[in-house]
Amino acid sequence: MIRKILGGTAIAAAALTAAPAMADGHYDGVTVNILTRPGPVIAGRMVERAEEFKAMTGAEVRVAEVPFAELFQKILTDWATGTNSIDVGVFASGWGVELVNGDLVENLDPYLAADDKIDLDDIAPYFRDFNQKVAGSTYFITLDGDFQMMYYRRDILEANGLEPPNTWDEYLDIASKINGQDMNGDGEPDYGSCIFKKRNAQSYFVIQSVAASMVQSKGTSEGIYFDPETMKPKINNAAWKRAFELYKATGEFGPADELNQDIGDTRGLVVGGRCGLMVDWGDIGPLSIEEGSMINDKVGAIIMPGSTEVLDTATGELVQCNAETCPYAENGLNYAPFAAFGGWTAAVSKSSDDQVKQAAYDFLSYMNQAAQSNIDVTMGWTGYNPYRNSQLEDTSAWIEAGFTEEAAENYLGAIKKSLNHPNMASDFRIPGAQQYTGVVLDRELARYLADEITVEQALANIEEGWEEITDDFGREDQAAIYSLSLGITN
Amino acid sequence: MNEWLDRHMGRLFLAPAVTLILIFSIFPLIASLIMAFTRIRFSAGGYKVRFVGWRNFEKQFFGSEQFHLVGTFTQISVLGWIVGLSASAALLWWIWKYIRGPFTWVGFIGRLITLGMGLGLTWLFAATFFSGNQFGTIGTTLFYVLIGCAIQFLIGTALAFACSQSIRGKTAFRVIFFVPMMITPIGVGYIFRMMADTTKGPFSEVWQWVGLGNFAWATDPWAARTFIVIAESWQWIPFVFIMMLAAFESVPRDYTEAAELDGAGPWQSFKEITWPHVLPIAATVMLIRAIEAFKIVDLPNIMTSGGPGIATESVSLQSYYAWRSLDLGSASAIAYILLFITVVICVSFFNLVVLARIRKQQ
Amino acid sequence: MSTPIRKPGIFESPRIGEMSRATKVVLYAFLLIWSLIVLFPIYWLIITSFKDAADVNQGPFFIPWVDFQPSLHAWKELFVTDYEDTLRAYLNSIIISLSATALSVLIGSMAAYALSRVEYAPNLITILFFVFLLAMTGLAVGLYGVDWRLAAAVAVALFFFLARAVGNLYQVRLKNGDILFWIISQRILAPIVVVVPIYMMFQSVKLLDTHIAIIITYAVVNMPIVVWLMYDFFNSIPRDLEESAQLDGATMIATFREIVLPLSRTGLAATTLLVMILSWNEYLLALFLSTSKAQTMPILVAAMNAGERGILWWTMSVAIIVMIIPVVVLAVVLQKYISKGLLVGAVKG
Repeated sequence: MIRKILGGTAIAAAALTAAPAMADGHYDGVTVNILTRPGPVIAGRMVERAEEFKAMTGAEVRVAEVPFAELFQKILTDWATGTNSIDVGVFASGWGVELVNGDLVENLDPYLAADDKIDLDDIAPYFRDFNQKVAGSTYFITLDGDFQMMYYRRDILEANGLEPPNTWDEYLDIASKINGQDMNGDGEPDYGSCIFKKRNAQSYFVIQSVAASMVQSKGTSEGIYFDPETMKPKINNAAWKRAFELYKATGEFGPADELNQDIGDTRGLVVGGRCGLMVDWGDIGPLSIEEGSMINDKVGAIIMPGSTEVLDTATGELVQCNAETCPYAENGLNYAPFAAFGGWTAAVSKSSDDQVKQAAYDFLSYMNQAAQSNIDVTMGWTGYNPYRNSQLEDTSAWIEAGFTEEAAENYLGAIKKSLNHPNMASDFRIPGAQQYTGVVLDRELARYLADEITVEQALANIEEGWEEITDDFGREDQAAIYSLSLGITN
Repeated sequence: MNEWLDRHMGRLFLAPAVTLILIFSIFPLIASLIMAFTRIRFSAGGYKVRFVGWRNFEKQFFGSEQFHLVGTFTQISVLGWIVGLSASAALLWWIWKYIRGPFTWVGFIGRLITLGMGLGLTWLFAATFFSGNQFGTIGTTLFYVLIGCAIQFLIGTALAFACSQSIRGKTAFRVIFFVPMMITPIGVGYIFRMMADTTKGPFSEVWQWVGLGNFAWATDPWAARTFIVIAESWQWIPFVFIMMLAAFESVPRDYTEAAELDGAGPWQSFKEITWPHVLPIAATVMLIRAIEAFKIVDLPNIMTSGGPGIATESVSLQSYYAWRSLDLGSASAIAYILLFITVVICVSFFNLVVLARIRKQQ
Repeated sequence: MSTPIRKPGIFESPRIGEMSRATKVVLYAFLLIWSLIVLFPIYWLIITSFKDAADVNQGPFFIPWVDFQPSLHAWKELFVTDYEDTLRAYLNSIIISLSATALSVLIGSMAAYALSRVEYAPNLITILFFVFLLAMTGLAVGLYGVDWRLAAAVAVALFFFLARAVGNLYQVRLKNGDILFWIISQRILAPIVVVVPIYMMFQSVKLLDTHIAIIITYAVVNMPIVVWLMYDFFNSIPRDLEESAQLDGATMIATFREIVLPLSRTGLAATTLLVMILSWNEYLLALFLSTSKAQTMPILVAAMNAGERGILWWTMSVAIIVMIIPVVVLAVVLQKYISKGLLVGAVKG
């Protein structure tokens, strides 16, 4: 069956390329070099699928890994300088614009046109656009759909007669009530809230998740970073200030060394049953059913907390939600689920050989197709989160993987609610994205969390830093690309 | 042909080393200097270069990155003034003494550069550390170099001296003490993260017992810096040890024995004979350690990622992070600032301490 | 035999050349405590490599079979499941560190020998002129896209035509000591200063992500150490043999190979070990210069920090252990040379 699918793809594709590639083993001798982050997450599943792919087509797919923080520079410098030791880069979808901008990425439209197995329409619209397209053309194949959600311990909240939080104030309130209770039966006090806060890690995604519901209220196209006309940062205002303060406040109910905890450390605590509330990507669902987990069928997922107040961009102050200020509000609460990271997506180098490009595309398509990905996303260790409608509609694969019916519906329900939200907030998608958030925002946040500076100083520094980066890359160019990136709506 | 070879053999022996260093050290050094005045962006077919003058340096010293490299400045406190003024006075007195002594222009200019660096660093610390403000990566790097080297010197020398005595199991100790140096710095960083874990690490019971079970070293600036110094020392004490052991073993036994025969106690014979003999070597060893310590990057990167805030970030690490976000101009500028500081301090140390000692002995 | 007249204190020896009992106790206690400080982290590393996630996260557990059940899963993962990656990184590390050490020691000791035997007096102005041309060549190639062969040819031609003329302007001559200091001072350079241009250089000759690039870089970075140690070593070797060999008509290269090198075995062994350790453990430069094919062991170790799932302490421990083993074996084999070899170099300062 799989052989047949692949054969079909290859024949259809062969019409496009000069390479006379036909039946099985037609990629004998072709080697595709993929560069991504260290496994088992992301890379591990690719290696396994690569073996199947080799058995089917003869193409050798080699997966190399570099530390996450080095990944993007490696790919960019490798392609820009023509070193070409990499054919496929797998990275955060938001980073890709810079590569497309530098004319380094193969346009995949012709490949898609010849591919009848990928079933693009099944991919959730937000990810189809955000993770795969730039200016209307498809340059990337997504392997993962990312945004952050809030998780809570159903058993603990029930035992305390509490409802899952809808706002950040409720979140803090619940965290303070359950903090110090024993949540995994080992006799030791556990934590009310676990959110990683390490510098040079991933805490800058969470701060954006916290801020989004206060900054953005007019729908996805409003954006949370800049005024699209002038590129003036929308950062030094009451909404971000409140977000910084909230983020810091959650630390009071967390582990003592949270400032040095990366997401992996936090997940260890979560799976070990030591956390009452947490913020994470979709991974917690599948992780909760893994062997050794203390939270199987005990964890619930919910859309990120909303806000009763939102930013008035004219004054920089927070104003009460009403029909005008928050058109998408529910029960007076403005939600803005943040598509943190966007997801792991793959791009094919423009300067690889045609046959390698085709083989690379075929492999990525194979990974993306529902037959494969619908299984992969149910496994926590792969790091792949759902991005296809069929993955969300059908609970059977999830139940087969070990979820209870109730847990699967709760988990998928939270994803669907976030994903279909008209006010979903997009991650950075302009050149220099890493400098804006990964360096400046991250560093100032870390300094604020470590009590080196006040929140006002932090926000002022970020504004100054962002303006500098914008000037470096060219204000007008950046404004044009930013507007383009906001054009994406659900 | 053979004759030609023979005649030029002296040069041919030196040529490969000099050529390699010129190509892979001097040339990149020049290229890096040029890059420090540019902004570079990658795109298809290579990179685009734009000259921006002193902007990269200005940003570091006066602009948005000032706090990061040199520190945060507000008012200088009373203590800051006291420390700053007294240290400045001492430095000025030192140069005045030189002017009154045997004067040469080269020596004077060299000392002026040292003086400038000394005054700059004095006031940097007076305005940051002694005034209750945070210092930047320069301060952190100097902390690693000064405190780290001091610890390594003391313990390494003590171990070497102990091992140079007639004891059993010398060989075993020598090999054991050498081991930490053989571990990759990355590995040392991770090993010490395990060691320092207050909840799951081997010493967690000890932490609980002293009432610090909830203390997180990585969230306190000074604790984090201290841990990095400890890890760095653990790794490099072997180097000091092995060099100083060689030094102690080279002290001619007749001398010390003769001294003891004359009725000198062990302490006296150590002070009068052994120590003067090993002192020049000690100075050289510490110079080498200091040179290496200025480059510290792996340990803070692995152990804390430069956090909490920027408390454990070294200058090298700052440059590395700038490179990582593809800000090559800033990365080069920061690297050059580091180079300048290192060269001035190390050459000063070499000329004023190591050479002076050697001259005195001769 | 004369005996001391005073009554010895507890830390003084009753007889010359021997330690008192109290001194011995303090001495051994100090040495044993330090051995413990050195060995305990390594012990912890070793037992961690036999733990699984639960043993680490619910720890601390100290003694295998008593506290926790050791398992080989991490070793299996690295040597069975992922053996290709591990093996490749391991081989890369071996090839790179061996070649870099050999290159560095060979070229470095040649230079050191020459500096200790031959009088040089290069003209400073000529050298500055050369560096100036080098900078201009770099500028032309790097910024204005001039073909590097053309630029190099022009620079070489200019140098040969003008070197003498420029050099005659001023006669400031360097001595051997200056050259030595210059070479040794290269060690002051933090790798971060030069790594980006080196990256671009190797990229322009398409050598990125190859062994050669890393080998040459390591060889250059470590050469100052070789020159520094070997210079003093050669100085300490008596010259009579060489002189008589030269009288017999032996060339410099023959003297070097047949007389000097065998005499400097100890120094070479110590230097080799030191340079080997430095190249084997280096991370930053390897990170810049390799992408996938030439990745070395330290990068593999760093890659065990798999962000989302936390640090894989167990496999990381295995990787660190397998990195230490060959160096320890080498050090034990060479241990008698270490001290002796460094001795000569260090004593002369």
